[in-house]
Amino acid sequence: MLPQRMAQQTLRRLAVQNPAYRFAIPTAAVASTNAFRLQRRLVATQSVSPEEATESILAKQRLVRPVAPHLSIYKPQITWYLSALERVTGCFLSAGFYVFGTLYLAAPMLGLHMESAVMAASFATWPLLIKFPLKAFVAWLFTFHGFNSLRHLVWDTASAIQNGTVNKTGWTVVGLSVASALGLAML
Amino acid sequence: MAALRTTVLRQVLAAPTQRTLVTSAMPMRFAAQKLAQRPAFSLQRAAFQTSARRSILPPLPQKVRGNVNDAAQIPDVDPTHGSYHWTAERIISVGLIPLTVAPFAAGSLSPLLDGTLCGLIILHTYLGFSSVITDYLPKWRVPLMRKLFDFANFLAVFVVGWGFYEFETNDVGITEAIKRIWTA
Repeated sequence: MLPQRMAQQTLRRLAVQNPAYRFAIPTAAVASTNAFRLQRRLVATQSVSPEEATESILAKQRLVRPVAPHLSIYKPQITWYLSALERVTGCFLSAGFYVFGTLYLAAPMLGLHMESAVMAASFATWPLLIKFPLKAFVAWLFTFHGFNSLRHLVWDTASAIQNGTVNKTGWTVVGLSVASALGLAML
Repeated sequence: MAALRTTVLRQVLAAPTQRTLVTSAMPMRFAAQKLAQRPAFSLQRAAFQTSARRSILPPLPQKVRGNVNDAAQIPDVDPTHGSYHWTAERIISVGLIPLTVAPFAAGSLSPLLDGTLCGLIILHTYLGFSSVITDYLPKWRVPLMRKLFDFANFLAVFVVGWGFYEFETNDVGITEAIKRIWTA
């Protein structure tokens, strides 16, 4: 052991003094060993309790995990756009329905007049420029949700779910809902 | 001698390095701090990002429960949360079709059908809103908000139901009211 170690040390010293040795051996071998480099052994450790590890390190690390990107990165397609719109239109309609029901109940306490006659009379005084777009919008929420729901109910029977059919029925619903909404708004 | 030298040299170079644990001068504590301070997305990725980055559900302050090796919680299988629920949703949806088409075909509905329409819309809304709440307010993420919204959704059924009960008994009914306001 000792002679071998001495030889090693001598060799190292030689290598430091005379870097020409480097050229005598393959470069890859040099890269894979530390024979000619000064080793750094700067180590600091600290003991972390399991609680501390989960609460400080793991909890913080979880905050920097990748997050799913927002919907805007997806290509707009008739399939998922109409599916989302079905929910959005339903929520709008339901919200209006709920707000009206609650306000009608609370009207006496709030001093409001939610009777149909009063509402009809006050709506009649609005200018057409506001009335028509509002009616068209509300009508479209209703017609779209209604027509598109038929597609969803058909899909629930596992039919008409080929890509081409979904595209066709989708655009049909778009056309039908817009046309019928405009028709209803003109009533 | 020359032969010996090359043998030794070969031995030295072939000897596995003892430095298997590569450590940097940075103590663990600072390394952890630096990791925590680091922006969520590195600069390299930011360079490719041309528009403002918006995450759909950014992580909230984390609370670690159990440990990473705990099995995923699987809720008990119950038909009232699965097939019955699904079927009830479809029955209500399908039932709403004739009730919404009828007023267009035959004018205003009878008080009984009008009341049924209101009731079904409320049930349909309750199920719809609960799907929305389940989707966007997961229990593991916002447990308190989830409870609050679920309760509000449940309460609304009775409040709105009472409101429309009053409306149906004291006023002209929902279809007739919409017709009058629409044509005003």
